[in-house]
This record gives sequence, C-alpha cells and structure tokens, in this order.
Amino acid sequence: MPLVNEGLITEFEWVTKPGERKHIGDALELADELMQEIAYQLIIGKHLEVDRLTKEALESGYTANHILDNGLLNGMAIVGVKFRDNVIFVPEVLVAARAMKAGMAHIEPILSASGVEPIGTVIMGTVKGDLHDIGKNLCIMMLRGAGFVVHDLGVDTSPEEFADAVVEHGAQVIGMSALLTTTMPNMGRTISYFEDIGMRDEVRVMVGGAPVTRDFADEMGADGYGENAVECVDTAHELLQLLKELGSSS
Amino acid sequence: MPSNQYSGTLTPKERTMRALAGEPVDRPPVTNPTNVATVELMDLVDAPFPDANRDPEMNARLAATGYTQLGYDAIMPYFSIIQESSALGCEMQWEGKDNWPTVRMSNPIWETADDIAMPDDFLSHQDNHAIVESIRILKQEFGNEVAIIGKAMGPWTLAYHVFGVEPFLLATVDDPDGVMDMLHRLKQFTIEFGMAQIEAGADALTLPDHATGDLVSGEYYRRFLLDLHQELVDELPVPLILHICGATVDRMPYVAQTGMAAFHFDSKNDPAESMDAVGDGIRLVGNINNPVTLYSKEPEDVRSEVNRALDAGVQMIAPECAIPLKTKLQNLLEIPRAVEDWAAERWEFSECH
Repeated sequence: MPLVNEGLITEFEWVTKPGERKHIGDALELADELMQEIAYQLIIGKHLEVDRLTKEALESGYTANHILDNGLLNGMAIVGVKFRDNVIFVPEVLVAARAMKAGMAHIEPILSASGVEPIGTVIMGTVKGDLHDIGKNLCIMMLRGAGFVVHDLGVDTSPEEFADAVVEHGAQVIGMSALLTTTMPNMGRTISYFEDIGMRDEVRVMVGGAPVTRDFADEMGADGYGENAVECVDTAHELLQLLKELGSSS
Repeated sequence: MPSNQYSGTLTPKERTMRALAGEPVDRPPVTNPTNVATVELMDLVDAPFPDANRDPEMNARLAATGYTQLGYDAIMPYFSIIQESSALGCEMQWEGKDNWPTVRMSNPIWETADDIAMPDDFLSHQDNHAIVESIRILKQEFGNEVAIIGKAMGPWTLAYHVFGVEPFLLATVDDPDGVMDMLHRLKQFTIEFGMAQIEAGADALTLPDHATGDLVSGEYYRRFLLDLHQELVDELPVPLILHICGATVDRMPYVAQTGMAAFHFDSKNDPAESMDAVGDGIRLVGNINNPVTLYSKEPEDVRSEVNRALDAGVQMIAPECAIPLKTKLQNLLEIPRAVEDWAAERWEFSECH
C-alpha cells in the first residue's frame, strides 16, 4: 500500500539517493498502516510506543518476521540513512536503537524458537585497550536484525579472544571496532595474530569505528570496512559471499 | 621570497605564547596540546606507562622529552584524559607500557546531577597531584625557555566518564535540562584542576571536551557547550586550547565564538576549509594525522601534511590528537624539521596570523 503515515512520509524525504529510495520505497510499500506507524515511532525514538505497537501487532496475528521486516527494519533503514548523511547523530540513533530493542524484545524469542537458519555467524568486539562500544553495539543490532548470528565479545578484546571465539562458534566473519586513534593499530595486531596462528584464511575481517578510514583498513590488511552500522551489514554480506565463492571455486 | 631574517629569534615559549595570542612569530610553533609520549621515549628516560601517568618525577621526565628529544615548542605533562576521572572515583584500567590508561565507562559512578560532588581529596589524589607537581618540576627546569601546557577535561568529556557515554547521550534527548545541570556542576572540576595547574606554572591549558562530530551535531555544541566554554574562558586566566576530535567543521563557527585562544583540530577536517570556518575568531592547531601518517607512513608523508596545513594558514602545527604509543620517532621529529624548512622558504616575521 502507498505511504499514508504523514510522519513517515516526511522521514522518507531524507532518503534521496535514487537506488536507496527505490529499495526502501519498495519495502515500505509492503507495510500497512500499523507497520508504517511502528517504523515511524522507531525513527523518532519512542520506545514505549514501539513496545506497545509490536505487542499489539503480534496479538493481532502479524508474524514476528513480518513485523521485523516491514516495521522495525524499515524504520532502522531510514535511521541508518539519516545517520550516514549527518542528518542525525549518535544520540538520535541511540533512542531509535532503544526503540528497536523494545520491539525486538517481543520478536526475538519467537524468531529464536522458530529455528530459522542464520545467514552467517559474526564475532564482534572492540579492540584491546579500547572500552568504547556504542558503534559496535549499533552494528550488532543491525546485523542481528538482518539475520546474522552475532557473538559479542564486548570491549577491550585481545587477539587471542577473537581467535578463540572464531573457533568456538565457527564464525566466518569478525568485526573489530575502535574509537581511539591510539587503539586503532590493535586492529592490525589482531590481523597479524590470525596470520601467525595460521587462521587468517579461515575468516574474513571487517573493521570500523569513528576514526577508522578505508585507507587505514586497507593498510592494516582488513578485508572489509564499514563507515557506519548500515555499511557494516552490507560489508558482512559481501564478505560472506566472497567466502562462499572461494569455497565453491576450491 | 619573504625575508627569513628573524627566524629563530624567539624562544620556544615566546613563539608558542605569541602564536596563541595572535601576535607575530618568527615561525609557526610546533606545539603539543595532547601528547607525544611514545614507548621509545619511555625507554629513553626510564618512565614507562602506566607509572609515568601517576608519578610526578617520572611524568616530568617523560613530558620533557617532547622538548629535549623532539624539539617541540611546548611541553605537555598530562598524557591522557583520565586523571580527574580517576580522582573522582571512576573505575580505571591502567593498562601497560604500550597501551593507554582508560576509564571503564561501562561502570559509571553517577546517575544524576545530584550525585555530582567534589571529593575532599580531588586535588591531593595521586593522579591529579602527579600532574600538578610535574608542572612545578617542569616550570623550574624549563619555565623560561619552553611553554608548559597543562590540561583540564571539559564537562562534556567528564560526563562520558562519570555517567557513561551511552546513558549520557540518551539523557541529552530524554532530559536536556537535566544535562545542562550536569554540565554546569561538572564545570567545577575543570576550573579546580585547571587553576591548580596554572598556580603550579602552566602557561596555557588544553581543554578537551569531546563533543565530536562522530557523536553529536554542531547544533549540540551550540546548545550545550558554547556558553559553558565562554564561562571557562572567564574563569581560567591563561590561553585555552579547545580540543575536539573528529569531524568538527560544522561547529567551528561556534568554537570561534568561545574566546579561547586556539582550537586543536583533527585530520578529518580539511585545513583550508577549517580556516574558512573559524575566520578570525580563533587560531587553529593541528592537524597531522596520527593512525595512518604518523604511525605507519614515512617522514616525507608527514612533511607533506605539515606543508598542507601551513599553506592553508594553520597557525600552530601539532599531531591531531594523542598519538599511538608505538609511533616512530623519525615521524615525530619530521614535524619541526618540516616547519623550519617551510618557514625558511615562505615565512616573514612581520606576518601576523
């Protein structure tokens, strides 16, 4: 159905790139009035509203997947675009993330019980010596929303902890975050550690964080870079695809 | 070609203080508003992290290397951003020689503005005392020749430490008035610690207040911090250098209204664009990239960045922020060499920037 929620119509105006406008616009067309309202309330960070509306939707017979795809993730897609384009900043993303979490509190148990096959498994952590985790947590939320299983190692993560987690969970991708220019080199040290122990070919490495640039990621030998949480999901998809192609060609 | 006949006529201290005041200088100073300590320098003077952050004699030995070994025009004895927060009771992770000490912000000590209280031992606490006493030592040894720059965290940075980054940023949306109250109350720590350093001999103070574009908007800076920073200029009677990491061009026009002497800016900002953004309102210090250029590239890359900043009109050259502790000395040494060479070709003492 067409967009009828006035707040959401206004928010959708922030999506200006033609490809994204089509992609998100097509997804929004699958959203009815209730899903549009969930998306809008998420964008403006009203977690109590999202909590209530998600619960109502489930009680009315909507499936968990339907609410996730057409309500919550539509909202987060617009939040991601606004964040990337500097229309909003971290506080506004945090309130949207809190609203997403409120909805996911109802959705996640149902999805977990349904036994849907995950897209892939990702290990996420902030590097050694760095205790910042907001960016990493946003990425984790978006990755989980996109269907990845994510194991969060938290902050101050040593190379050994990353490697142990890859083995323990059979992960295909690790994501490293850093907020400090002083701790960014620990991304390179972690990659070197994977080389030293002969595990570098088993896993793809993506990096991100406020001061991290694509040049720096290349310099450190990372396989992928995400400037923000939306790109983090795209990068994880690309790296998985790459692994699959390598697997099928070998 | 401009005359270079006055090059080297000023002491490093005169050069730095004059540049901060916007007065003519013989060449742009190489300053150090955050930190240039490295593992190599720690080894050289037997003053390793974390002890060099907590012991005044070790701290002074390591800080002095910024002048004695690197040839910068200023000495910065406060290497990190955590001394006051440690004194306030935050949970600390002191790390080892090759990693920065940090605050465990996931375990905040306070929840509301009413929790904010000045501890009896705020200034006598080991970690604040170390900085103040180090400044006293450095003043005695180098006070006539090189600028001693102290550092006091601004209220926004302190708020991250004591309330936790995420709870604090959420509060800016949920309860902006409450956040203003928090910031006003936190200001007392900035003033108290800043004044102690000034009394001990600090010639200027860096004021890190990380309302960075990586986290909040320029409008946030105007709304929550501009007035507060103007108040700090009135309260602290030395030149202040505001430091904010990350992309900051959108808030530079507001920063230029603070009355501070200089703004220490990050390599994420183009020097020429930054000069346009601040106009004549404030002088710029920066903005040599740390994680890529200083940490992993070669001296010629450092030189190229120094030239770019100077060509744009940046008045004082410095690394953009505290450097990775394993940064190569040859890259740090290249900064003053590049500035000297640039000035020899293109600088006139009578130029007033």
